[in-house]
Amino acid sequence: MAEYTKPIPSPDPVSQPFWDGAKEGKLMLPRCDDCNRVHWYPRVICPFCHSMNIEWVEATGKGTIHTFAVQHNKGLVARGWGDEVPYVSAYIDLAEGDRMLTVLKGVDPNDPESIEIGGAVQIEFEEASEDVHIPFWRPV
Amino acid sequence: MPGEASMSAAIIGAAEANDIGYPQTPKSSLTLHIEAINNVCEMTGIPIKAIDGIFSAGWSPQIAEYLGLHPKYIDTTAVGGCSFEMHVHHALAAIHAGVIDVALVTHGEMGFSQRFTGGKGTGRPFGGGDPWDPGTQHTSAYGLGGAPTSYSHALNRHMARYGTTQEDFAEIAVVTREWATLNPRAVMYRKAGEGDLPPLEKGEWGGGKRGHTFGGPITVDTVMNSRPISWPIKLLDVCLVTDHGGAVLITGPELAKTSKTPPVWIAGAGESISHWNMLEMGEFTKTSASRSAAAAYKMAGMGPEDMEMAMIYDSFTVTAGITAEMLGLAPEGEGFRLWKDRHAAPGGRLPINTNGGGLSFNHSGMYGMQLLVEAYRQLSGTAEDGGFSGDPGKQTSARSCVVNGTGGSLSTTGTLVLVSDD
Ligand SMILES: [Zn+2]
Repeated sequence: MAEYTKPIPSPDPVSQPFWDGAKEGKLMLPRCDDCNRVHWYPRVICPFCHSMNIEWVEATGKGTIHTFAVQHNKGLVARGWGDEVPYVSAYIDLAEGDRMLTVLKGVDPNDPESIEIGGAVQIEFEEASEDVHIPFWRPV
Repeated sequence: MPGEASMSAAIIGAAEANDIGYPQTPKSSLTLHIEAINNVCEMTGIPIKAIDGIFSAGWSPQIAEYLGLHPKYIDTTAVGGCSFEMHVHHALAAIHAGVIDVALVTHGEMGFSQRFTGGKGTGRPFGGGDPWDPGTQHTSAYGLGGAPTSYSHALNRHMARYGTTQEDFAEIAVVTREWATLNPRAVMYRKAGEGDLPPLEKGEWGGGKRGHTFGGPITVDTVMNSRPISWPIKLLDVCLVTDHGGAVLITGPELAKTSKTPPVWIAGAGESISHWNMLEMGEFTKTSASRSAAAAYKMAGMGPEDMEMAMIYDSFTVTAGITAEMLGLAPEGEGFRLWKDRHAAPGGRLPINTNGGGLSFNHSGMYGMQLLVEAYRQLSGTAEDGGFSGDPGKQTSARSCVVNGTGGSLSTTGTLVLVSDD
């Protein structure tokens, strides 16, 4: 595997089930056992009803684009990403609720008008290290 | 009915550091603080030793120690550029409660000069990102860094939701630049080398009366043709990166009478937060300014229709456009019209960002103090007399002003309703 040169997240005890799922290509999301709402990022308490009964569920990996931008400036993005400008960052509304940040795959950064806000996307995972597979999204 | 704390304290003076913008020689953030503090105390005639409450974005213990003060109230609220509007809110509450008599709100930031000192002198009041912090952990993989890389998402969402265009937001930059050409303290006041101005020397950044390579009037085309930073944000949608120091003094009515400069009354104040990391933002075309403004208007017993000018944080054109909507100055989706239809321009019915804004006057990283200083200058009439800096700058006849700071990634807001003395 080619060396992954971009930032790799550090899983913590609260988020570990998400990263475990990612290694198997599954999107695991935290869901409140009391109000049944899914939230992101992972928490030990439900941000909606403040219950501490949180369980992990496998999600569909489907979502829609809330908004996106095209990153052009090497100096403003993290090391490793500078070599990839222009690239498209996006906020994804998850089918199960709440929102993730990502980078869109399979889009043309030089033609932002071709990318649709509200358009459907599907998750995929890239192996950045043995322990961390990073979620990305792609229009379907 | 105004709230109980309304008008119980006033800003009695506001001053800046001796060098702002692009100084020839770097000064530390601490020095910028101290120069501004010394200037505001000289301006008002209130001695530094009378200060018994210190409010700053992370610096209060250093300021107290440096000045040998032992304040009774120490506030280091640091939630981005709106911190200073929140400090005024907190100072109002502390004075109203009788806890302190003289509040200092202070700012010093070498946003420009730190590039020449390798970060030395900045004080670094903020911590770095903890890799386990959830906001960091679930966003760092995607490389977003500087503020433009996130604010662009809000602009794109606004365009998709309301059918607005990049040109609409460019109008904000154009009108704001027009104000800057009336303010000799503004970095973009005029174009270097024009008229009988000598050209800038090699390595000289200019700004202000000296002129700037890209200073002077601009058009929508200038903005549209500037280089893409984070589409749909282009270079001229983005604020400056400068040095600044500023300080204001706040007291109750009795002490206000002893000041050499007139009071500007705090009629209303409010603050709020919608998220910290943009990952947790709700609808990207709305900010907590609707809540902080509602609180400020309620305390003031006034509404947006009573405002005769506005100072609106403009880190980006989109910040100003959206915030105008949240403050109730324009319908949702139509904030940009205040600029496009020239209501916000010189001579318009609602002057906005009369100093030239963060876009063309000065933006040191946190711009909330610049908003306060300019609101004070306009409402107190001190700018009319040449201002404490010796430069003219009374641009409006406004007697009321809504001031709104925005911090973080469209995260935090502080709103003030300020009114002139009778
Ligand atoms: Zn719940």
